[in-house]
Amino acid sequence: MFSKIAINNVKRSFRDYSIYFLTLTLGVCIFYSFNSIESQNSILEMNKDADFMLTLNKLMAGTSVFVSFVLGGLIIYANKILIKKRKKELGIYMTLGMAKGKVSKILIFETLLIGVLSLLVGIVLGILVSQGLSVLVANILSVDLNKYKFIISISAIVKSVVYFGVIYLLVMIFNQFTISKYKLIDILNATKKNEVVKLKNSFLSALIFILSIAILAIAYARALKTGLAAENAELVITVLMGVIGTLLFFFSLSSFFIHIVQKIKRIYLKDINIFILRQINNKINTNFLSTTLICLMLSLTITLLFTAFDLKGTIDRNSAGSRAFDASAFLIADNENKDPKVNDIEEYLKDINFTFETYEKHTFYSEYKLNITIEDLLSKYLSKQEQIDLKQNYLDGAISAIKISDYNSIIKLNGKKAIDLKENEVLVVSNYGQLNNALPEYMKNEDIINIDDKVFTIKNESPIEENIKGTEGSKFFYLIIPDNFSGGLQLEFSSFNVIYEERYSKESEEKFAKLFTDFLADKYKDISPSLVIGKTKDQISDRENGMAAMIVFLGLFLGLIFIITSAAVMALQQLSDASDSLERYKSLKKIGVTDKLINKAILRQSLIYFLVPLGLAVIHSIVGICALRENFSFHYQSVIVSSLFLVVIYGAYFYATYVGVKNMVKNSN
Amino acid sequence: MQNVLSVEKIEKYYGNKDNITKAIDNISFKVNEGEFLGIMGPSGSGKTTLLNCISTIDNVTTGKIIINNKDITVLKAKALEEFRRDELGFIFQDFNLLDTLTAYENIALALTIQNRGLKEIDILIKDVAEKLDITEILNKYPFQMSGGQKQRVASARAIVTEPSLILADEPTGALDSKSSRLLLDSFEKLNKDFHSTILMVTHDSFTASYANRILFIKDGRIFNELIRGNDTRREFFNKIMEVVTLLGGDVGNVL
Repeated sequence: MFSKIAINNVKRSFRDYSIYFLTLTLGVCIFYSFNSIESQNSILEMNKDADFMLTLNKLMAGTSVFVSFVLGGLIIYANKILIKKRKKELGIYMTLGMAKGKVSKILIFETLLIGVLSLLVGIVLGILVSQGLSVLVANILSVDLNKYKFIISISAIVKSVVYFGVIYLLVMIFNQFTISKYKLIDILNATKKNEVVKLKNSFLSALIFILSIAILAIAYARALKTGLAAENAELVITVLMGVIGTLLFFFSLSSFFIHIVQKIKRIYLKDINIFILRQINNKINTNFLSTTLICLMLSLTITLLFTAFDLKGTIDRNSAGSRAFDASAFLIADNENKDPKVNDIEEYLKDINFTFETYEKHTFYSEYKLNITIEDLLSKYLSKQEQIDLKQNYLDGAISAIKISDYNSIIKLNGKKAIDLKENEVLVVSNYGQLNNALPEYMKNEDIINIDDKVFTIKNESPIEENIKGTEGSKFFYLIIPDNFSGGLQLEFSSFNVIYEERYSKESEEKFAKLFTDFLADKYKDISPSLVIGKTKDQISDRENGMAAMIVFLGLFLGLIFIITSAAVMALQQLSDASDSLERYKSLKKIGVTDKLINKAILRQSLIYFLVPLGLAVIHSIVGICALRENFSFHYQSVIVSSLFLVVIYGAYFYATYVGVKNMVKNSN
Repeated sequence: MQNVLSVEKIEKYYGNKDNITKAIDNISFKVNEGEFLGIMGPSGSGKTTLLNCISTIDNVTTGKIIINNKDITVLKAKALEEFRRDELGFIFQDFNLLDTLTAYENIALALTIQNRGLKEIDILIKDVAEKLDITEILNKYPFQMSGGQKQRVASARAIVTEPSLILADEPTGALDSKSSRLLLDSFEKLNKDFHSTILMVTHDSFTASYANRILFIKDGRIFNELIRGNDTRREFFNKIMEVVTLLGGDVGNVL
């Protein structure tokens, strides 16, 4: 009997439930898709790197918990609005003598029904979406999907069911709580409550509005000036100013706006604009807190989506100049130990019985530390902030040097011509120019370097940006010194570089990858105490791609959830406001306002309501992205893809809201 | 005197073939320009149905309703909306003012939907506010007004467009007696001084006594007609009471 009422209720109020259902389904779908990532083909390729998988799993688990909190909050909020809307219906059940317990039983059954349905549909949709995601992952990780496989992740299904099960359980408990608090008289009179319109001082609202604009302008200026790489405390102040500015903006916007529009009679006294204005004024006034929250969430989302999509491009570009060798390894010199064998990687390799094949072109070389630091050298050209930046990124300290004979053998591997260096000359090999202008300025203005009180002329006019080894760090700084350099030198690394023969590249890669993994596992500790670290080109790019994948994933995951959450909250607010305004629409109809005008009014209201927070969010994110620009560079592809996500989801909610309100008004008499 | 409204043999049925309720059963009457017509009758007599039919909210089963030489029973939905907007003014029992709008804006709304000029709107509103003595409360919201003030604002909204016919449905139904008297005084003023044509539905004899002529309806038919002529309001009121007693209804049935 009760299940019958519940099923009929869900069927009948499907329109009311449609936004709720849409939100739940989308939530489940996205949740499943991202959690199914562990079983994706392309990720399985990466599975060799256990470290990466562990980090990914941990991050996904953490994010999932966070996301379930956000979704849980959203679902409870949506449910609360639905219950409010149905107060009268519940009141009728109670006047008919149905016990509260039975009323809540109906509600439990309804939640269960919607829950199970949305879980089913969501997971089925998620399975479809995750196939597309799999292609995207392959693209990001530059993995060839030679064999397409249809994947269903059981663990992700279980996870979705458990997480959403808990959320639905919470909703049920919340409903019980709400029902038990209701008094019959309040429920039946719920619709009769009068709305009190808050009157606002126009002067004060204008003042607050101007203040908010000023605060935002200052926050923007700060963000653009220092970028997001500023010191933490400074950054916190900038962000805080942005938040306060946004809050005040929405607090004063509608009052200010209405006073302006009232002055423009051409707009004010056209059609039923008077009515539209007052409706919006009412809503934004009372909902300014949630509007602020939505605006900030959208800003974060847009910035997140943009940067996530762009990270991959950035990494590809970064690695372009610094990957000249297929494999590189270095032995960290122990200068306490005078035994030359311990500090020579060639000897070390002999000890562990590692030999190079004839087709593996290689060269050994030594890296030294000079008695001069980068700060000493560039101090004149570095601003305070740039010095701090260098220090934070461990790019300061003693300058590395390589003797010219070693350098020549390194570049010969790449088929380049040897360089002649006189006794009093040095070469600068560095890409520090990408960080700041200090190095290029130095090389433009000065052509000598003073090392240990001896003057050297810089042979090259601008730094050589080709790295001398394959490293993970993307920034490097070397001085190439003459072989008979007489100043203080301290051996830092003993290294080798390898270039594979095209034909045997696969075998060589396997061989070196295994060697380096063994190094990492301290396998040769018993033979030699030396610490050797090596990476092949593929290992480095896998790691970087893996990182890019992780950031793109989490960015997408959070971004999508944020868009859904904010759009859903706005849609629900609109719908509940509309049902509160039904009487007003009826009055409009009675005094002769045409249906066409009413629909136009609804469209304009929804549009303004959805666009206002989005508009400010877009401005926020443009500033945020510009501030990030120094760390990333943007291209149009990412703009298009992320805008598409935003427009499709946000647009769908907007349309659903517009149609929902329109039907509600249409069916009201 | 020109005819503003002419109702010809209208009938309104509810229900299906087996079970017909005649809400209006063959009613005909005419309203001249500048007339103040009252329609009285007990609950269920069909007076609200009649008003709904005249105000184009409901349609008749048979018969013609001609307002300003236009037969509204044959108009299409869109033409009806325009007709309602331009030719009719409504005053409701529950005011139907928009609570989010000031008095000024509520009145302006009736004009803006007719796409009137900007200057015209302001002049018309100030003018009508003076007529109904609501100039002081133009910038107030409905929740800041008394019931009588609300109804006068609603009346201002109804007449500001200068409609051919003002339809009032129990206008004093939600007002106390003092406010009722004030409102009816302004109706009388509108009718006498500005020649507005008013059709008022009420079941209150005192309210009805302000009209020039009263139609009594019972069970969907015209039962009686009273014309005030040169009677004072007291005399007219007594005549109305006699008919009401005869008619039965609210009080009469109990006694």
